[in-house]
Amino acid sequence: MIPTLTTERLALRGPRLSDFEAHAAFRASDRAALVGGPDSRATAWTHFTSLTGQWLLRGYGRWIVADRATDAPLGVVGLHHPDDWPEPELAWSLYAPGEGRGLASEAALAARAHAYDTLGWTTLLSFVDPANTRSMALARRLGCTPGGTHRHPDLGPIHIMRHPAPGRTP
Amino acid sequence: MIPTLTTDRLILRPNRPADFEPFAAFYASDRARLRGGVKSRAEAFLQFAAEIGHWTIRGYGFWAVEEAATGAYCGQVGLWFPDGWAEREIGWMVVADKEGQGIAREAALRARAYAYDDLGWPEAFSCIADGNTRSIALAERLGARFDRRHPRPGQPDHLVYRHPAPSEIAA
Repeated sequence: MIPTLTTERLALRGPRLSDFEAHAAFRASDRAALVGGPDSRATAWTHFTSLTGQWLLRGYGRWIVADRATDAPLGVVGLHHPDDWPEPELAWSLYAPGEGRGLASEAALAARAHAYDTLGWTTLLSFVDPANTRSMALARRLGCTPGGTHRHPDLGPIHIMRHPAPGRTP
Repeated sequence: MIPTLTTDRLILRPNRPADFEPFAAFYASDRARLRGGVKSRAEAFLQFAAEIGHWTIRGYGFWAVEEAATGAYCGQVGLWFPDGWAEREIGWMVVADKEGQGIAREAALRARAYAYDDLGWPEAFSCIADGNTRSIALAERLGARFDRRHPRPGQPDHLVYRHPAPSEIAA
């Protein structure tokens, strides 16, 4: 029930138990500090299993971004919509082995196309921690424009990056 | 992919979005202290999604327990094995206004039968936070016996109760 999307180098597919070690390693690392971590292994498990739970609850969610040739998990990208988010967002997190090759951009474009073309969404945003300069740069490369600030009750101010509307994407 | 089961009074079915409100209310209350800990609404949503997602990762998980006569949501009962857990367990949670009616027992017996008969589990456990006397009493009414203590970092120890094996129930 989680669709698989493919790009030139990647498969966006449903999470599996065998992805958990890579996910837990990412959530335990300093790299997770700008996306709500770092987390204990127990919290990482809750986070990991909640990925597929959101698909069942909402009909959309985040995929594991896997190397299309080896199926190795490289990150998590997709449509993230927890209860305390004002609307769904296009979110991306790459595990360390997936960084620096433009893979987040490639996966985010596929996920955005799914939101617009398959789900029929007409708007889409990404929330980015102001300190997350790499994510901010990626949002700009994806054609996003600043859309103000969302004041999250627990996480503080988060930048809203508004994606180009369907048909106006680069 | 998540089966629906029935008992005399109950329906064990997949969670629906509407179950989240009573689920979050339970976790906002002090009653959650020995059942995973009191949680904010945001944390409760993560837990709710995790309980549903557990099915796709493990192939089993928690059901929503619904009162057949009224359709009322009563809580969560099912089969649970997050990373780091001592054993695969039969777990239960009942919301405040459905307590004291034997609902957790009735649902847990059905979940245990599913584990043994449909999944082929050779044994089953319940992992109960130290001090949760009501849950311990229920485990004992289900025929489970204390097996061992399982320490957990930053949380109350789990008391691991072993349920009767399939052969002991059939006998």
